[in-house]
Amino acid sequence: MSSNNPVLKISNVSRTFGAIQALKEANFEINEGEIMGLVGENGAGKSTLVKIISGFDPGFKGSYKLKGKEVKFDTPSKAEESGIAIAQQELSLIPNMSVAENIFLTGAKVKKFATLNTLSKMARPYLDEVGLTDIDPATRINLLSVGEQHLVEVARLISREAKILILDEPTAALGELESRRILEMVQRLAANGKSIIYVSHRLDEIFKITKRITILRDGVSQGVQETKDIDVNKLVEIMLGRELANMFPSRADHISMDPKIEINELWPDGVLEPISFSAYKGEILGLSGQLGSGAGEVLASIAGALQSRSGSLTLNGETFLPKSPNQAIKKKIAYCSSDRKKDGLFLGRPIFENLTSPALDAISRFGFNFGDTEDTYAKNLAQEFLIDVKRVYDESGLLSGGNQQKVALGKWLSIKPDVLLVNEPTRGVDVGAKSEIYQRMRELAARGITIIFASTDIQEITYLPDRVITFYRGMMIDEHRLEQIKTPVILKEITDPFNETNL
Amino acid sequence: MTAITQDSQQPFSAKFLQFYKDRTLLAILLSLFAVMFVYGIFFTDNYLTITNFKAIIRDAALYGIMAIGLTFVTLSGNFFLLSLKETASICGVTFAMGMATGFGSPDLAGNFLVSLLAALAVAVVSGVIQGYFVGMGGNPIVVTLGGAGILYGIGAWWSDNLVINFKRPHDAEWLGTGSFLGLPSITLAFILMAVFAELVLRHTNFGRKVYLVGANKAAGKATGHENFSMAIIVFTICSVCCAFVAVAFVSQMDSAQSNYFSAEFGSSGDMTILVIATVMVGGNSIMGGYGSTLRTSLGAIFIAMVDNMMVLQGFNSGPRIVGVGLMIVFSIIVFGLFAKGSRAQE
Repeated sequence: MSSNNPVLKISNVSRTFGAIQALKEANFEINEGEIMGLVGENGAGKSTLVKIISGFDPGFKGSYKLKGKEVKFDTPSKAEESGIAIAQQELSLIPNMSVAENIFLTGAKVKKFATLNTLSKMARPYLDEVGLTDIDPATRINLLSVGEQHLVEVARLISREAKILILDEPTAALGELESRRILEMVQRLAANGKSIIYVSHRLDEIFKITKRITILRDGVSQGVQETKDIDVNKLVEIMLGRELANMFPSRADHISMDPKIEINELWPDGVLEPISFSAYKGEILGLSGQLGSGAGEVLASIAGALQSRSGSLTLNGETFLPKSPNQAIKKKIAYCSSDRKKDGLFLGRPIFENLTSPALDAISRFGFNFGDTEDTYAKNLAQEFLIDVKRVYDESGLLSGGNQQKVALGKWLSIKPDVLLVNEPTRGVDVGAKSEIYQRMRELAARGITIIFASTDIQEITYLPDRVITFYRGMMIDEHRLEQIKTPVILKEITDPFNETNL
Repeated sequence: MTAITQDSQQPFSAKFLQFYKDRTLLAILLSLFAVMFVYGIFFTDNYLTITNFKAIIRDAALYGIMAIGLTFVTLSGNFFLLSLKETASICGVTFAMGMATGFGSPDLAGNFLVSLLAALAVAVVSGVIQGYFVGMGGNPIVVTLGGAGILYGIGAWWSDNLVINFKRPHDAEWLGTGSFLGLPSITLAFILMAVFAELVLRHTNFGRKVYLVGANKAAGKATGHENFSMAIIVFTICSVCCAFVAVAFVSQMDSAQSNYFSAEFGSSGDMTILVIATVMVGGNSIMGGYGSTLRTSLGAIFIAMVDNMMVLQGFNSGPRIVGVGLMIVFSIIVFGLFAKGSRAQE
């Protein structure tokens, strides 16, 4: 392995979108047969860099060298011809076609007429290479597990003679066993001389398989680290390492010892064992965990949006288990989901209708809604949540992401909730609106509302809540309070609580 | 990627589209009205007479009432009730059975109230059942097409495909052929229903829920407004409207048969197509969440005007049905164009 002669080398690359600088100064290189980890927080520029490498984004500045020669790819297919291929998180397989047909979907290497039998024979070596030795190539894709589908996707890329493979969070939606298969495949491919760019939030995996790690922070690459010279804490330090102090409101000085809502043995899908905890009056409790850790599922099941196998809630001395959001709302539990376009907003309807939607009884008399009760009500809510009062008659779909989130969250104040559950309070929200939303959440907590939120954003989890509960792959790991909330500890607990990196 | 979506001033074009989205559709409809009216005055004999306009509104009333019911279904995002004419048909047969035979007990024969309640009961049952399956997640097209077959079949089976006659004088003449204040009863009923439905949609919680659930079912569920109960209610409303039209129509004809309201009987073609055309021509969103019964009422009058014009011009039923079909297609195109203008700004 000649480390002075990288097969792909990118230097001083920058990329701006309008006023936003997604990449400032990124350097990246990879050798033949190497596994290079690419890490960084959300918004650090990972996906921009990946798009540049794979030819999706030709509009960058800087140098892109392949085997020492300067190249420029206008389209992803040009990059693929040069042997660079990407397996994205969303798979591009056709579910009701066979494995073999999916591998040769473009038909480049196939004769005009080919039976499934010939295709199967042709697909065999590629499937063996990714470790799918036990899969019949004639099987339909939708009969495979998600992990196996990822492997098929990679087999397809290899069939097109990809030399450099980019894997973008291949294990994000996978369980432990399936993840292992992916990791084994990556190692096998690297041993066969392929270069792998491995993008992941799961630091344990990064440590397990990579040789070197490129760390991005704020669009700047922080130098390449040899994996064996670095540990998790150091990596996290390099990944974050920036002031955030004033974006978050100061937290409460103590936690009230008066439990507001008790969650007993709640057990929704996606969680391994029944979960119990309580939240106190006027606190902000953060549930921390990666995608698939169960934190979001617990939140949804408290709100009745996700069925729980067992358990109950105790709120204001009543014990119950909401079977639907409607029942939860009646008990003054509000739930703001993580996908506002899907089930948070009525995009085609005006803002004021959105704001009053959970509390139609409050704006009407005996079911009739005359006069300006609703108008006043909606405008007050808008004012309280810093939404432009003049715009309340506009379609909510016309608002920016940040303002949409404020509407999605603000509408729940109309039911005067005792407990406010928020899944990903600031996903896809700009910095300004983010800090406004944090301020608002803190004020609501100060008013006595118990706020429980789930987030995959590590800064949010570190600086916003009074108490944090960590989740890892469907298990509750630990709890931290006030000053004991420390980013490295939490990060360790949500990525690798059982020291699997040392295995 | 950092998604710094700045809350920029929305472009002028977006505001313009937003403001004129409602009015454009309305303006197009109204200008078409005007064109038709002017054309009618100059090129059609017997057009500008009160009798003719009364006839137009009277025609509009029949499918207008059904269309007002269907508007609730469409606005709530449950697409269409495709068993419109079959619901009307079985309710008509039920009513006529009551008027002719009293359902087997001679004491009740010719009793208007009993017959009416029986017809409405049939409508409620069929509406609730179809709404239940749609609310459970069934595809509205499949569920109501299946419903159509079953309802028509039961009606034909029960009546042995015969015409059920009941002799004049009978207790339902006031509804079939009577009039108040110089207007036929069915026209008055149409006007009252249009006003009432518009009030319900604008000024009641139920009306608001119809719009919200229609705009986004998932968000509706999350805010406590489930489509399950909504589907049952709107399909029942629609079925009851069908029953009412059927009763009025049967009272006028003094008879009922299971294929009334079908293409081979009705002068303006198939009732289901006509009613769906009315909802579409009015400019209601086929996906739900946008529109009003007022638009539907205008659509009904517009279609009746076109149909009336074609009758006076001497077209027979074939070309007139083609005309209705073309109107559906055009309204979908026009609505698609303007709705896209606004949605593109999301």
